[in-house]
Amino acid sequence: MPLLPGLYNLARWLTRDSVEAEDVVQETLLKALRGFDGFEAGTNFKAWIFRILRNTFLSSRSGLAATRTVALEEELEGTAIPESAIDRDTPELSLLRLADRDALEQALQQLPPPLLEVVLLCDVEEMKYREIAAVLEIPMGTVMSRIARARAALRISLDAGNTPGRRSAR
Amino acid sequence: MNQHLSAETLNAIVDGELNPPELASAEQHLAGCLECSSRCLALGILKRRVAAAGAKYEQPSGLEQRMRRVIAPAPQRSAWMPWALAAAVLAVAVALVPLSRDHAAKSALVAEVVDQHIATMAVDTPPEVVSSDRHTVKPWFQGRLPFSFNLPQSLPADVTLDGANLSYVEGRPVAQLLYRLGKHRASVFVAQRGGVAVSAADRAGFHVAGFRTPELEAVGVSDAERPRLEELMQALKSAQ
Repeated sequence: MPLLPGLYNLARWLTRDSVEAEDVVQETLLKALRGFDGFEAGTNFKAWIFRILRNTFLSSRSGLAATRTVALEEELEGTAIPESAIDRDTPELSLLRLADRDALEQALQQLPPPLLEVVLLCDVEEMKYREIAAVLEIPMGTVMSRIARARAALRISLDAGNTPGRRSAR
Repeated sequence: MNQHLSAETLNAIVDGELNPPELASAEQHLAGCLECSSRCLALGILKRRVAAAGAKYEQPSGLEQRMRRVIAPAPQRSAWMPWALAAAVLAVAVALVPLSRDHAAKSALVAEVVDQHIATMAVDTPPEVVSSDRHTVKPWFQGRLPFSFNLPQSLPADVTLDGANLSYVEGRPVAQLLYRLGKHRASVFVAQRGGVAVSAADRAGFHVAGFRTPELEAVGVSDAERPRLEELMQALKSAQ
């Protein structure tokens, strides 16, 4: 099952729990089997099954708990990360901090689910914007602005230095 | 100077989402704008780091077997449809994912070492240990790295050791050895064995070559001709 590692990885990030991640993957596969008629030949199978996974997560225990936060985040979308930070952040991004994988993992964990899922689908699953739009059932323009927001939030989080850098300064 | 590129455009560049005319116009701006090109570079590096850090969770052992049991039909039910559907799901999945995760991990590693090499070449600061003497460079890593390695007694013709840095690749501490191959420069990253294996690859005009020993793995990056880089890697391998 070549998609299984990717499905599990995304479920694990979203649920933040290994047992629940496995439940979400299991339910996704069962729904995929039951709903196989819903898959149209010639359309993107990977996007289809990730959409089932994502919808399964949203109706799961941690997904429902996150939904309240998600709604809040969407409300705050305009203010959570200042526009100025997205459009004109410091170009001299701390390359040193980027090399610190623990700091990056922590920054990813701090992303609200709508930003986390978009950046994982784009960078880890290597999906194109139109595939991500199909998974999340949102317009392409929203995919683009969420990716910009997600990366800006990661940079802000890394630059804020939430974990001490492990490298000594060159 | 045109107006700066928007965050969406810069992200679309690193994600390969611009169509040729959009890309041409963006590249024209980037060529004359240090600020936008720096941000674009930083976004590209961030994307690669996220690709590596985001693939954090490996599926638990036995998950695939458990899932296969779950999607298999109950034995008392004679319906053949679920089997056919299960087979169809798996078959389509196989057909649609030509790239394995190993392949993705390998490209992420190649991208990371090429980035590190470019970043080292771009800044004009001397290496942390500056020496062409292997007896100076090797001991410098004592206490800085949780493993040891040997440097070759003699190097191929026209190859010199410039020095070394302590660096990180895939979040692990590595020795970055800096060599000069005639007018070209090379970085060789030496790590404790345990990551992704890279034998040979090319990226952005750089050649990448690697080897593994039972304890170590090494990846070299250079814009010199591939045989010269491989000759250097062979010399290093023979010294282990």
